[in-house]
Amino acid sequence: MSILIKLSTTLRDLVPGYDPETGLLVTPKEEESSLTAGELARRIGIPHEEIKIVMVNGRQSGLESPVRDGDRVAYFPAVGGG
Amino acid sequence: MQDFPERQSLEEGLAPFLSKRGTELSVSREGVRRLARELDRTERETMAELLLRDVWPERFSRCRGAFTAQALARLLSARVVVAGCGGLGGHVTELLARLGVGSLSLCDPDRFEESNLNRQHFCTEKTLGAFKAEACRDGVLDIASYMDVQAHVVALDDDNLPDLLRGADAVMDCLDSIARKKMLERAARNAGVPCVQASVARNEGLCLFDRTLERPFSAVYPGEEAGNVEGAPMNTHALTVAGTACLMASLLVRWLCRNKDDGGALFHLDLSVPELEKLTLFP
Repeated sequence: MSILIKLSTTLRDLVPGYDPETGLLVTPKEEESSLTAGELARRIGIPHEEIKIVMVNGRQSGLESPVRDGDRVAYFPAVGGG
Repeated sequence: MQDFPERQSLEEGLAPFLSKRGTELSVSREGVRRLARELDRTERETMAELLLRDVWPERFSRCRGAFTAQALARLLSARVVVAGCGGLGGHVTELLARLGVGSLSLCDPDRFEESNLNRQHFCTEKTLGAFKAEACRDGVLDIASYMDVQAHVVALDDDNLPDLLRGADAVMDCLDSIARKKMLERAARNAGVPCVQASVARNEGLCLFDRTLERPFSAVYPGEEAGNVEGAPMNTHALTVAGTACLMASLLVRWLCRNKDDGGALFHLDLSVPELEKLTLFP
């Protein structure tokens, strides 16, 4: 079981080798049964201040939101270009 | 002003300018112009009346099946403000002209420069150095000379937005910073003008049109005033701005023609995969 992480635009630069087509699969450790979106981001090296939108399974959430096995978690930075 | 003729009279009076594909009746641009002169109406008004009698201006004839005649007539009467005539704004402007939106106010203080050639619709080697708003105006008038198009070479601010938004049916947020987008949505809300919002970076576009919240963009980015205002350029390319502009235009058309918004939805276009997701905001 694992969590699928999707990163948007500049956040991809923070995870070497990130592939947008596959995303990043993370397998929580047994002791991480109560993992939050924020803890998951820190675990893959994304500072919280870089994250402006969190989506868990396609629904807006927060860094404090719990994530579970099988979830799809997407992180977005500020996107303001026109 | 004379009454507008009914369909049978139109078929007789416009005979040299009509063409048929099966049961579909279309009238050429010359026929529209002649009828407008005869009836002392604008070409826009004339095309709308023709559509309501199921006589389609030839320029819209290939929209049959995708749009109703009533929807196109509605678009012809609409006035839309395009805030920003760069990547998103140039493509949005071109799409709205081809869709039949009758009146556009185009706002941008900048001139085209070489780095715009990779994505900005009306930026060509010939228009480098031209004001974007004016080049976009000239470009859409080449597509649809009947349109009412105003170019405003201005930086939008709290002082000029109320006048620019007055009487508009919608505003398209094609601005290039989060702070300016927040300013626009505040002004649009105060003016009672629906605001279709989008932003782009690299291969991705985000688009939303929410009429239920007072300031949806500010709700997505609470407290984020700086964004990429200065010093942090958001690079992107033609595919991203063209795809996101299509999303914006489709949300606008749904609103104008079917009175439907997309409250609670954030559309995320990712052309690096490619995929389009409809995400749920503020569940």
